[in-house]
Amino acid sequence: MKMPKLPREMKIGIGIYVLAAILFCFSPQSVIEIFSGNIDLIVKILIFTAVAVAISVAISYLLPLSFVRKYLSESSLSNLIIAGTLGVATPGPIYAIYPIVLTLKSKGVSNPVLVAFITGQTILGPARIPFEMGLFGLDFMLYRLVTALVMAPLAGLLYIWFSKWLPDPDEAPGKSGA
Amino acid sequence: MKVPVSEVFNSYLRLLAKTMFLVGGGLAFALAFGSLLDKEAMLTLKDNVSEPLQVVISALIGFVAPGPRYIIYPVLAKLFEMGLNLAVIYALVVGHVLIEPSTAMLEAGFFGWRFPLKRFTVSLIITLAAAELMLLLEYAGWSFR
Repeated sequence: MKMPKLPREMKIGIGIYVLAAILFCFSPQSVIEIFSGNIDLIVKILIFTAVAVAISVAISYLLPLSFVRKYLSESSLSNLIIAGTLGVATPGPIYAIYPIVLTLKSKGVSNPVLVAFITGQTILGPARIPFEMGLFGLDFMLYRLVTALVMAPLAGLLYIWFSKWLPDPDEAPGKSGA
Repeated sequence: MKVPVSEVFNSYLRLLAKTMFLVGGGLAFALAFGSLLDKEAMLTLKDNVSEPLQVVISALIGFVAPGPRYIIYPVLAKLFEMGLNLAVIYALVVGHVLIEPSTAMLEAGFFGWRFPLKRFTVSLIITLAAAELMLLLEYAGWSFR
């Protein structure tokens, strides 16, 4: 009997669950203790995920393909800055933004622009600004904000540079124009 | 063009199911790995290693330490209380949020292995550059506290 071929995301997902199960075996705490100790966080992430999926579905229906092609498909410096700033302004946990990233990718957004967006989003989210300011002070927060706005487009530029040696299979040659 | 609400709702549910499957796996992995981490190891950094090297080690620990972002803040607050340099805390928090094992696996699943490999390299460079710059500014007399 031939096994049905699983999609790549499904294989990766199963792999992560298997790895998690192995790590749980070595943990000094029980699985129930770990999950009950992090229940607020789990609920928060699941809610953010549901919201992020809603945003990504909204993007897929509302964002015209022509707009994306015109403004974000090429890896120019201005697009990297726009993507990085959009990332910094986008709330939500890292896992929850991947639906948005996938939607942008399917709309033709290039990988360096996606890297600028992911870097901006992961490095600093709006929800963490008051949190970090309270713990470490205003100056620390301002440095984080300024470096985030610089680091996101810089990450995109470095990605373009590294792609000269290790090109993405799906990136057309000469598409990177920064 | 008007799109039927049922079509939008169905596509939402399809994407939600697919995403929740992956997010659930990532979360389980992060929580399992986080329960194995020895937080005391971080404190040995402060007494035995020079600050520029602390920044490098913190960034690398941040990269390999999985877990949702908020998990690391109690540890960071404790390290800050103990007098660890803010540049080291910066390297740890930025390293932790920029990339981690579970998201690298997710990205490999979505975009292929070259994408997370390049993103990891790029993230390491920019994290170290920004954290070492912060350390230099502190040495030059700029206080971030």
